[in-house]
Amino acid sequence: MVELLSGYVMYSLSYILIFVALATLLHLQFGLTGIVNFGIVGFWGLGMYVFGVSLLQYNFPYIVSLILATVLTGVVALALGRVILDLDNQAILVATLAFATVVRYIVTTEKWLTRGVLGLGTVPFPFDLGQYSQFGFFLIILLVTIALLLYTYKLGSSPYGRLLASIQDNEILAQSLGKPTFREKLIFFTITSALIGFFGALNASVEHFLIPHVLTTGVTFTVWIALILGGRKRILGGLIGVIVTIGVLDFIIETYAPIPTAYAPLVPNLKYMIYGLTLMLILIFRPLGILGEKKSTKILKVIRKL
Amino acid sequence: MSFLRDTLVLGLIEAAPLVLAAVGFTLIYYLNGFINVAYAENITLGAYFAVVFNSMMGMNFYLTIIPAAVLSGGVSVITYLIVFKPALNRGVGRTEMIILSVGLSFFIRYASRLVFGADILHFDIVSPSYLSVFGTGITSIQITALALVGVISVGLYYFIYKTNYGEMMRGLANNEDLAMISGINPTKVSLLIWFIAGTAGGLAGIFYGVFSFVSYSLGWNLILIIIMITIVGGIGNVRGALIASVGAGIIITAVTLITKPLYAEIALLIFFIGVLKAKKVWG
Amino acid sequence: MPEKKLHLKNVMKSFGGKKVVDVKDLTLGSHSIEGLIGPNGAGKTTLINLITHKLKMDRGQVFYYPNGREVDISNKSLDEIARLGIVRTNQIIQDFQSLSIKDSLLLSLSTPKYEKFYKIFSESELEKEAEEEIEKYLDYFHFENPEGHALSAGEKKLLDIIRCLLLKPKFLLMDEPTGGLPQDQTEKVRDLMKKKTSEEDMSILIVAHDLDLIWDVSESVCFMAEGKILIQGCPEEIRKNKTVAKKYMGESDA
Repeated sequence: MVELLSGYVMYSLSYILIFVALATLLHLQFGLTGIVNFGIVGFWGLGMYVFGVSLLQYNFPYIVSLILATVLTGVVALALGRVILDLDNQAILVATLAFATVVRYIVTTEKWLTRGVLGLGTVPFPFDLGQYSQFGFFLIILLVTIALLLYTYKLGSSPYGRLLASIQDNEILAQSLGKPTFREKLIFFTITSALIGFFGALNASVEHFLIPHVLTTGVTFTVWIALILGGRKRILGGLIGVIVTIGVLDFIIETYAPIPTAYAPLVPNLKYMIYGLTLMLILIFRPLGILGEKKSTKILKVIRKL
Repeated sequence: MSFLRDTLVLGLIEAAPLVLAAVGFTLIYYLNGFINVAYAENITLGAYFAVVFNSMMGMNFYLTIIPAAVLSGGVSVITYLIVFKPALNRGVGRTEMIILSVGLSFFIRYASRLVFGADILHFDIVSPSYLSVFGTGITSIQITALALVGVISVGLYYFIYKTNYGEMMRGLANNEDLAMISGINPTKVSLLIWFIAGTAGGLAGIFYGVFSFVSYSLGWNLILIIIMITIVGGIGNVRGALIASVGAGIIITAVTLITKPLYAEIALLIFFIGVLKAKKVWG
Repeated sequence: MPEKKLHLKNVMKSFGGKKVVDVKDLTLGSHSIEGLIGPNGAGKTTLINLITHKLKMDRGQVFYYPNGREVDISNKSLDEIARLGIVRTNQIIQDFQSLSIKDSLLLSLSTPKYEKFYKIFSESELEKEAEEEIEKYLDYFHFENPEGHALSAGEKKLLDIIRCLLLKPKFLLMDEPTGGLPQDQTEKVRDLMKKKTSEEDMSILIVAHDLDLIWDVSESVCFMAEGKILIQGCPEEIRKNKTVAKKYMGESDA
């Protein structure tokens, strides 16, 4: 039992949960509000490194570092959003992509702060429960992720959720009804991006070690394919998508499929090829995700029936 | 004074592959209305084709240029026929098209990694002869690159604005239904444009690869700058792409000579956002 | 009699060198309902776009007078102007495709009090507050599927009008509100306009080609052609005016 609760299984589940959170946050940004954020790994890495540097270089307490990471990521998101959120979708995509590149550059080159490619370690858990520490931390991630999913669920049938949906649907019409669309997009983008940073900080404890190497566009891409596959408009779109992609490919296949060692190096390449192919197929044939169109517009239906 | 001279000459050389790539990229963007991120792989594949011909098959570098470029053009046409045209026909929107192109880019990039390996490849070139231009050393290869850029840019400009095909392309880009009624065959024109763009991208990759090295992420590392250059220079604007590329080349060189490449990246990002905002105000 | 609500001074807009709107001095809102007529291309919709700042004017000023104060709205944004009470309906149908009819109306009624990212439990409160008013409008206009989406172009137009009315605007600009509507719905809109302006502190400017409707509801009419306001007066004056007859009546069915 103890083996099950620690080691690889716990690590895998924690990792999957973090990506479920990231994909759900992308659902909030893109699926609900229409913001094409291709810089997810930038906010994630920012949170991760602010946390790591704060904890390991400046020796701030764990909670303080966590809060600092979240808040600082939020501030950066606010600044970036202020400037780019009134541009068109393609510009936002490119700008956020460039932002993520800049974050990776900073982390790699500012060695005095981040120790560059040597990496920062070792990030401990916030508590010491002996062999149950990893399990304990997993529970924390689980709780936070569930809270996020519940928030997402409730948001979908709330006035604010409706406002965000209307902004994506027809922003000018929403403005002509008096809605401060830019301000609300900015606030929401700031908060959700800050949360992306928060989960980046959590990831630091899961990995125990920080290297710039992990901050690749592949991370952003993986979150995107997961959400598109699972259904960008669905509340559980992130959950479904991550289980089907990362859960299946990264963990089940890599761990259990009997691949001869000669072919092992091929697997990461094949993985991204499959991701790319799947993304294209979904966008062309089933743009709302593998489960297709929702039978009812989630907004309000549940409450109205009560 | 030598800093200025170095910056200008080196900046121009840095810009040469960018111009080639930007000019091809802007054509597709103009014609189809979306950013094709998978163009990055056109660039990479051009370099790979050339280096395979050169290092593995022993061809002289200059002889590899044309076959590699043509093959890249072919790849571009294939991606159009198999992926983009069907997607556009199914009514996939602009935002989804760019996301889709990211998917294609990952697909091709990791397929390349599978086929060509993850190692860095170098061109097999005989020691190039050096020439002194305004006191800065410049190799015969770099001169070839600059010459090719000049020829292609002028050629493309002439093609787009002075020939029938160019006129057809502009008509097609502006209004497809009207173009079809006027007797323009959209498929033929599109195929031609995608081929030309693919060739330009391939050439960019070849020269970028020979100036440094060839890896599977060669194109991917450049695509952001190319997108920015295209938007700054104006979509479909060949002259604009040229000026913006030269500008980018000079900025990158200047900043790299003074400080770290990181600040070049940041400078470009800020400049890019600035131009977008300015266009919004006046555009 | 309501005081003047809007005052335009030297408002100009050109497209590609051609002046589309050139209004030197225009006062609106002195009457409950005013009409704005003119041939196609006169610039009526553009004028509305400029007032609400959906389009930026090249030059000029627009002043708004809520409750006797003077507010310069020349540089305010679309949403600011809407919040100040100046709202417009759209000639070309504008809708929220992903929202049902009820959702659209709830969106309109929803205020900043409800629209905060942390207020995820306030939907039932909003619905309770909004229920009566929404039911009244839905009953009045008879939508085919009130729980679902607006089906026809006509329904979408009515939805547009209701959304605007729910905002309780002080100044409502209606751009061809009855264009394409069946006669019975047109009459309902007309009756509603009269009712609302008499019950509430609302002025309406209605742009329409349906001159019967214009003569019926308007206390004052402006005639616009080639970007300029040529005459402003009571319906009888406008009907008799020779310039109007020449530039416009010949075109449409009076």
